[in-house]
Amino acid sequence: MEKMKLFAGILVFGSLWGFSECIIGSTLHNAQLPAGAIMTGLFAVTLMIMSRMLYKQRGMQFGMGIVAGMLRLFSPFGSNLGFFICSAIAIMAEGIIFELIWHRTSLDLKELKPLRMSSGMGVITAYCCYVGGYIVTQVLTPVLSSAGFYIENLIVFIPQMLATGLLAALIGGIIVPTTLSLKKLNLAIKERLYYPATIGVSVLCWFVVIANTIFVSSA
Amino acid sequence: MIMGKEKFIPIIALMILLIGVSSSVYVYATTIDSEYIDINGQEYTIDQLLFIGAERSFEEFSGVALDDLMIKIGVTDPEKHEYTIIAADSYQKTVSWENMKNGLLTEDGVSIFSDLPKSFRVKDIVKIEVI
Repeated sequence: MEKMKLFAGILVFGSLWGFSECIIGSTLHNAQLPAGAIMTGLFAVTLMIMSRMLYKQRGMQFGMGIVAGMLRLFSPFGSNLGFFICSAIAIMAEGIIFELIWHRTSLDLKELKPLRMSSGMGVITAYCCYVGGYIVTQVLTPVLSSAGFYIENLIVFIPQMLATGLLAALIGGIIVPTTLSLKKLNLAIKERLYYPATIGVSVLCWFVVIANTIFVSSA
Repeated sequence: MIMGKEKFIPIIALMILLIGVSSSVYVYATTIDSEYIDINGQEYTIDQLLFIGAERSFEEFSGVALDDLMIKIGVTDPEKHEYTIIAADSYQKTVSWENMKNGLLTEDGVSIFSDLPKSFRVKDIVKIEVI
């Protein structure tokens, strides 16, 4: 696959992921809903599986995590740059964890045809991405801040992290078979529309998030 | 015998669901339900703490200044200690005196620091340990 085509794919899927984290994730959080588990189980896993189905490239989801994490770092719902570093770190970690789990899965995803396989992979992926991302951010955020990291703070909270991941796992168990069933639709985009569409959608995601930043900080 | 993917993946998925369910039960059983906040061995209500400490506000947040609160409740040499803020669900964060000078406790029982990321917001605080 052309490098430019793959790069545009990383940009558009990463931007959509970051956009959903910034706008929908923050809305869910403000509504006192378990935003982290819903965002990972529903949006992050769906976008990573879709990109794996469409592009059949390993490493792409790591790139998407970096793009989405960058967008989250500049998100509108915090007034200073380091404010959402914890969410940004978790998103980037989710991209890496996905790559590790799906590394040995074939690129045509044929072995995931049976429902128990696709549903099982959904549970494993969503749970590990959510809990793994949570643990990584609980370690790295204090390390990068002035407070420092204390291992006991992490250890006592592990049962809570394992418990909140259950919702992400259940969502993942449903969403992965559903997303994989879209394969039958044979989604494709005309060659001449590919770059305008991918770059247009990416620019729109970043524009809305940045415009929201300016709107929220001036309100 | 090496277990194939078709058996391994559903088994791991089931184990994950079991871990999630058992952790949820454990968290539910161990969550503390208290109207008091234990600071350095003494219990206070939020209203008492709001009355004791000086007011502090930044951005859209307001509450009682955490550094002033520690001084007023009688922590000796407060700058020589670190402070572990513990929530009802066991979430806890340890901060320095410098951080406390930029921190506040809201009337909803949440700690907010102007110099620390969002993960240092501890909700539903039940204890502040002076260490």
